[in-house]
Amino acid sequence: MIQIKKFRYEPGEHEAETASSSYLMSLIAIIVGLPLPIVNLIATLIFYLGNRKSTYFVRWHCTQALLSQLSMLFINSYGFWWTVSIIFTDETITSNYIAYIIAAIIFNLTEFISTIYTAIQTRKGIHVEWWFYGTLTNIICKSKS
Amino acid sequence: MKKIIIQGAITILLFFGTWFALTQIDWVEVFKVQKVTDKTEQKLGELFWGVFKKTEKENKNIHAVNSIDSIVTHICRSNKIDRETIKVHVLNKDEINAFALPNGHLIIYSGLIHNSDNQEELTGVICHEIAHIELNHVMKKLIKEIGLSVLISMTTGNGGAEIIKETAKMLSSSAFDRNLEKEADIKAVDYLTTAKVNPEPFANFLYKLSDKEHEATKFLTWISTHPDSKERAEYIIEYSKDKLTDYKPILTNETWEKLKEELKD
Repeated sequence: MIQIKKFRYEPGEHEAETASSSYLMSLIAIIVGLPLPIVNLIATLIFYLGNRKSTYFVRWHCTQALLSQLSMLFINSYGFWWTVSIIFTDETITSNYIAYIIAAIIFNLTEFISTIYTAIQTRKGIHVEWWFYGTLTNIICKSKS
Repeated sequence: MKKIIIQGAITILLFFGTWFALTQIDWVEVFKVQKVTDKTEQKLGELFWGVFKKTEKENKNIHAVNSIDSIVTHICRSNKIDRETIKVHVLNKDEINAFALPNGHLIIYSGLIHNSDNQEELTGVICHEIAHIELNHVMKKLIKEIGLSVLISMTTGNGGAEIIKETAKMLSSSAFDRNLEKEADIKAVDYLTTAKVNPEPFANFLYKLSDKEHEATKFLTWISTHPDSKERAEYIIEYSKDKLTDYKPILTNETWEKLKEELKD
């Protein structure tokens, strides 16, 4: 799922720190934004926009962090509104709902652990590419040179 | 590009696969969700029935109780509903009303029986209320109107008598929302036809009572709380059109007449 690859160039100390922060950003936002799944997306988006003009390594990792948040947004929003409808409307708790929440928790947890791992690795200047998101980022984020 | 589509598809499949695999487990059973809900419902049923028992007079006339019981038992048996889950109570009151309380309590006012021209009309209304019970409309409505937390606090004795009284009153004098009413009407027609009872008088009953000239208008709780009676009558007729026509009465004519006679006193 997670691959360590050689980046086009050796990132500098400052670059590694900023890239790592983009993942940390989403981690902190998860804690703050737990009840409202959109908060962590907004946090990574702001970070992404702020670093658009930064070096390739930083941009690359900001993009990967943003993309991974985007898919979680769909999963979590659906779960969030499902829960709201159970509390406030005549929906009831079904096995289907509980299964969805457990699946969502598994995916969130995987994402959470991967994010911590990636944040640590990028801090050391190691380039980490995720399954699907890494490939997608390679298409979206191109080197300027 | 191809690689990314495949990877994306696998990721999505993985999520739905996990979800699907997890749905194979009966989580409601695992977490005892049903047990908690059932217990709450049972307690609420007792609480609300207690309110009516205190304020109204229950009809204990053996003939009346047995006749109504025959109708309900017949409907339940034909439709494979557990008879034990429906607890019928006949109350002496002029209002034309019948309603369902949580946990299968079904309250019928003597005014309704008295104002039914034939047993099929009464059976139709009973089927409509049984449908509300079987489709779990009562708890849905309660949760929607007053919220689960208030309901649970009632069952733990923190509700306060006034709230319980008001909620019980709300259940007896207000309708469910349009969709739930229609669902119950359609289900009632199903129950009636499976039990070989003609659903047409049920529709006629709605027609008749929606007519403002009717002598009993001031007692018409069941109709005034169930809006658009004409429209309901129409779709009941429409839905029951292509059903079988081999209908049989549940009670004999004598029993029915005697029932009305007994309730007069």
